[in-house]
Parts: sequence; C-alpha cells; structure tokens
Amino acid sequence: MRTPTLPLDAPPRPAAGSRWGLPLLLVAHLSRPRPGGSGSRAVLILPLVAFAAATALTLTVLAGVIMFLGWEGHELDIYPTVAGLAGAILVIPLLSLGAAAARLSAHRRDDRLATLRLLGATSGTVSAMTVMESAMIAFGGALLGTLLYGVGLPLVGLLSFGGAPIGAAALMLSPLVIVGVVAGMTALAALSAVLSVRRVVISPLGVRMRRDAPPLRRWHFVVAGAVILLAVGALQVMQAGTSLLVMRVTFIGGFAAGIGVLNLLGPLVIAAIARSQVKRVKTPERLIALRQVLESPAATWRQVGGVAVTCFVAVVAGSGLGLISQVPNGDLDEPSRVLFSDMSTGIVLTIAMSFLMVACSVGVGQAAAVYDRADLYRSLHLLGMPDLMVSRARRRAVLAPLRWTVIVSVLVAGVLVFPLVGLAVVLAPLSVLTIALSLVGGVGFVWLGVWATEPIVRAVVGAAE
Amino acid sequence: MPWTGPMHTVVIDAINVTQSFGHTHALSGVSVRISRGEAVAMMGTSGSGKTTLLHCLAGITQPTSGTVRLAPPIGAAASLPVVTVSDLGDGERSRLRRERFGFVFQQGLLLPELTAVENAALPLMVAGISRTAAQQHAAHWLAALGLGGLEDRRIGQLSGGQAQRVAIARAQVNAPDVVFADEPTGALDSTTSDEVMTVLLDSTIDRGGALVVVTHDEAVAARCHRVLRLCDGRLVGGPHA
Repeated sequence: MRTPTLPLDAPPRPAAGSRWGLPLLLVAHLSRPRPGGSGSRAVLILPLVAFAAATALTLTVLAGVIMFLGWEGHELDIYPTVAGLAGAILVIPLLSLGAAAARLSAHRRDDRLATLRLLGATSGTVSAMTVMESAMIAFGGALLGTLLYGVGLPLVGLLSFGGAPIGAAALMLSPLVIVGVVAGMTALAALSAVLSVRRVVISPLGVRMRRDAPPLRRWHFVVAGAVILLAVGALQVMQAGTSLLVMRVTFIGGFAAGIGVLNLLGPLVIAAIARSQVKRVKTPERLIALRQVLESPAATWRQVGGVAVTCFVAVVAGSGLGLISQVPNGDLDEPSRVLFSDMSTGIVLTIAMSFLMVACSVGVGQAAAVYDRADLYRSLHLLGMPDLMVSRARRRAVLAPLRWTVIVSVLVAGVLVFPLVGLAVVLAPLSVLTIALSLVGGVGFVWLGVWATEPIVRAVVGAAE
Repeated sequence: MPWTGPMHTVVIDAINVTQSFGHTHALSGVSVRISRGEAVAMMGTSGSGKTTLLHCLAGITQPTSGTVRLAPPIGAAASLPVVTVSDLGDGERSRLRRERFGFVFQQGLLLPELTAVENAALPLMVAGISRTAAQQHAAHWLAALGLGGLEDRRIGQLSGGQAQRVAIARAQVNAPDVVFADEPTGALDSTTSDEVMTVLLDSTIDRGGALVVVTHDEAVAARCHRVLRLCDGRLVGGPHA
C-alpha cells in the first residue's frame, strides 16, 4: 500500500493581529448550531428571549414612570412621587431578571471552553470570548425587546389613568432613552459575564467553580440593625420639619436602605426556615428542594426576593386605599376619587409586573440550572427516579421560598400597620381580596415560569436513552 | 432454556440482541447470560457496543430486536413470572431499574446538595420507605463500605474514592439483583481504583447479586469472574457468552 505524502512543510504561523480578532472568530464559529441539537439552539435562544423580556419590561416601566414624572404640576402632584416609588420597587426584580439572563448566556459553553483551552487558547482569549458572546446575545435580545415594547404599546396604552386611557403616544420613549436601555442591557450582560468568568477556572480539563457559594455571615444582622437605626434617626429628622428636597432625599434614602436591609436579611430568613424544615421532611422531592435552597440561600433569594417589597407595599397601600374607597362618593372631590382609583390600578399593575419579572427570572434561572445539572438528571432517570419527582423537587425549590417570602412580607406589613389592615379586612374586604388574589395570581405566574422549563428537562433526560 | 444451573442461577438472559441507530448497528445479535453471584466485565474499544449492551440489559433502552429476560427476585415466590425486560414500557422499565437494579457511574453523579447518607438513602425513599428507616439502612451500608462517621458530609467534602463509595452504597441499599457499573473507576487513581473495585465486588457478590462492569481497564476486568469482549457490536469469540 502506498504511503500518502505527509505535509512536512512548517505549519502556518499566526500573523500579529488585533487582540480581539481571535475571540470574535471563535464566537462566530461556536455560535453555529450543532447538528440535531435542540439543546444547543436553546442555549442561544433562551438568553435571547430572556433579554428580550427584560428589555421590553424595562422600557414599559420606564415609559410609565417618565410619563407620570411629566405630570408634575398636575392638579394632584403626588403622581410623580408614587410612580417613582413603583419604578423603584421594580428595579430589584428587573436587575435580577437581567442578571439571570446574563448568567444563562455566560454559563452554557463550559465543554467548548475547556476544549478550546485544551487546544491552547489562553484563559484571556476564552474569557474575552465568553464576555463578547454574552454581550452580543444581550444586544440581539435587547433589540428584540425594543420591538416587543413597540408592539405592546397600543395594548398598554389602553390602561386608564387620570380618568382616561393613557394612549400609546404618552408611552413613547425618546430614541436616546431606548438606546440607553439597549446599551445598559448589553453592559449588564458583559459585566455579569466578567463576574461569572472570574468565579470559574476554565482549565483544559473542564470548568469548575473557584469556591463554593459564600456562607451567610452573622454580621449581616449587625449591619441590618445599624441601617434600621439610621433610618429611624432620619425619620426623626424628617418629622422635625425640613425642606421638601431633604424630605424627598431622606425618603428615597430610607427606601434604598430598606431594600438593602431586606437583601441582607432575606437569605438569612430563607436559610433559617429551610433549616428548620429539612430534618422533618419525609419525601425525597421535599428533601432535595430544601437542600437546594440551603446550598445557596443567597441565590434563592436573588430569584424570589424581588417580590418582597411589592408584597409589603401592596398590603400597606392596598389596605389604605381599600379604606378610602369606603368613603361615600359625595365626600371626595373628583380629582381625589380619580387619584385613588389610579393608585389601586397602579398597585395591581406593580404586583403583576413584579411577579412577571420574577417569573421570567425564575424561568431563565431554572433553564440554566437544568443545563448545569444535565448529567445528574440523566443519572436520576437511569436510576429509575420518576421524572415527575425531579420536576416536583425543582418546583418546590423555587415555590417554597417564594411562598415564605410572600407570607413573611405580608405578615410584616400586617403587623407594622395592624390597625390599618385590620380595619380594611372588616370594612373593605373586597379590596383586600383583590390584593390577595393578585398575590396568588403572581405566584401562579412564577409557577408557569418553572413549568415552561419542563421541555428542557425532558430533552436533557431523553438524551440518556 | 433452564434458569438454574449446577453452579449458579441465571438472573439475566439476553438472546440475539440487536440495537440499531439509523443505519448504524451498535449491537448485532448478541446473546449473554449472567448468573447470580457473578461479576462480568464488558470490554472493547470505544464504539464497540459495550455501553449499548449495558443499556439494553438494564432496561435503559429497548433493543431493536431480540429479548432480555430477568428472573424473579431472590426469595420471591416460585410462581412469579420471568420478566421480559425488552417488552416493557418506559414506566415499567423505570420501576424495574428502581427496584431490581443498582447503578454506579464513572463520575458518581450524586446530588451535591444532599449529604452522603441522604444520597445513599435516596433509592429507598423513592421506593416509598420512610426517611428514618431509609437513612438508617443507608448509614449501615456507608459504615460497611468504610464511610462510618462521614454520613453528614456533603459530596463536595469527600474525596473521589469516598464519593464513589457513596455511589456504591446508593446502588446497594435496595439489594438489587444486578448492579451495573459504567467505568466505575475511570476517574480514580490506581490505588483508589483497586479499593473501590474491592468494595464493589464484595458488596455485590457477598449478598448474591450479579455485577456487570463496563471498563477499559484490564486490571479491573481481571478481578471479575468473566470477561466479555465486544468488537463492532459483536461478542468476540461467538454470539453466545
């Protein structure tokens, strides 16, 4: 047999070029869909859809807030303040959603990244590639989200505020704001990818975490206590009577401090509840769910914590408005009547938006988790563990902490303004029921978010056969 | 075909098993008989069909043609029928894997958030045994496999060899008729690999179970009673083994 002629000339050497050239080329190559892999397509499509949803929701919320800010000088100038507050409430779930989308896009290349390292790509090249890819997907998703926002404007414009439908035109954002949001989403994805890459070691043998999730510290309580004391002090200053500007700054600062305290204490509370239950659970799905929560309470809180403030405000404001609605029509002037009706609409809208964002965030986070644990899910299927049991465990790991968050937030609000809530329950049960149903509906949204990832689990498990 | 022999009792009888994926024949008319108390190694180059055969024997996949039969469990009433694994639906095969088989994989594939004892107890809990009873039984297995005192450790806090012992305990807790191990020592150094094989063989054979090991490692195969060699989807040396 004739030996083929071997190419004995020296292999081509790389030319000195731009440092971004190689990562860009690799991104282009690795973005090609793998044959027959619905999973590989999902790797690209899921973060794209997540960024689209995050952008569309951000633009819609921003449009509403900017519209109300323009109502300064309106007969009742409380609109801008309340709209600003609603916008601030939605910042946390929005950021969570953006970050979840970014984590999903940055996460899904583990095997390919390790192969590239094996072939000699430097850690820097691989990291740059991950960041670029996440940013590009985010950019595409943000453009898609802008389109969604535009398409949804006529529908959102049907909402009635100030006694009439607001109309699509009032919700049109300036191109500069839209460009800013698209750029912000892209930057958020890049930043999250940088952080994700910093947390892992991409070696030729695979990708592994640098360290486990950081443990919860007791000093969180100390900091939270100090912040609460500061907030009480600031409240005293406010009551002493100062200028409107100082009052507004103190109010916004107090609100931000409250959110900060919540984020310090939330994971601790979730961990405490999970720890109190884990020894007593009897079924495997509950055990797995609670252990997952305990594995990283902070990550769990990041997924569900966004609804805490929403629930708190919904109970306080909802009860107040419910009582006001009992005032006979003749005792209220027309602007006040419209204002209270608008505030009720605003509360339900804020609850809906907040839970929608959490649902999207949970869906995206669960999709990433399924891919992360694909081998494990396959092995559980091979062991004969019913797929339904795996699904229940996944659902519980999200819905149980969500339930605790809603219940604790509602209870805290109820205790803090007990007389108000008590009166509302007695005098305006319909308003209280509306708020309660909104919260239940919100939890239903999140359930749908988890349920939407079931096909991914089935695809992953199906690969075992 | 008799289910009992002079030395052993047959537990799995695969006859003329063929597995095709499109135009590719992963297995071509393989017949294998595995007895209780027997350790069988399956060897072959990559793509030879050894993992496919394991999947067919364990009811993970249905063969394209041929039959895989499973004898009634040890101590079961003589009237219990032989189960034709290859005729069962997905749900019944899942149940069979849960109740009659144990599995050990190369990477262990344990739930990282659960403790060692919770991982080992999982098959029993899935089968409906109470958590307390399941964990007590699993703790006995962990102790028997040299992991006494490590029950409450997370998987990340164990060495590779210790984690693989937890996986072996998980495979043994429900006293399966057959333990299937796919490259169980593939990720371990030679000393740990030897220890893990000893544990796997002793724990399975001593209680009368059968062990089927897919391996590339001649040293691992040498410790089994019998070695089946596959090449291009066929058993080397004839269709029967």
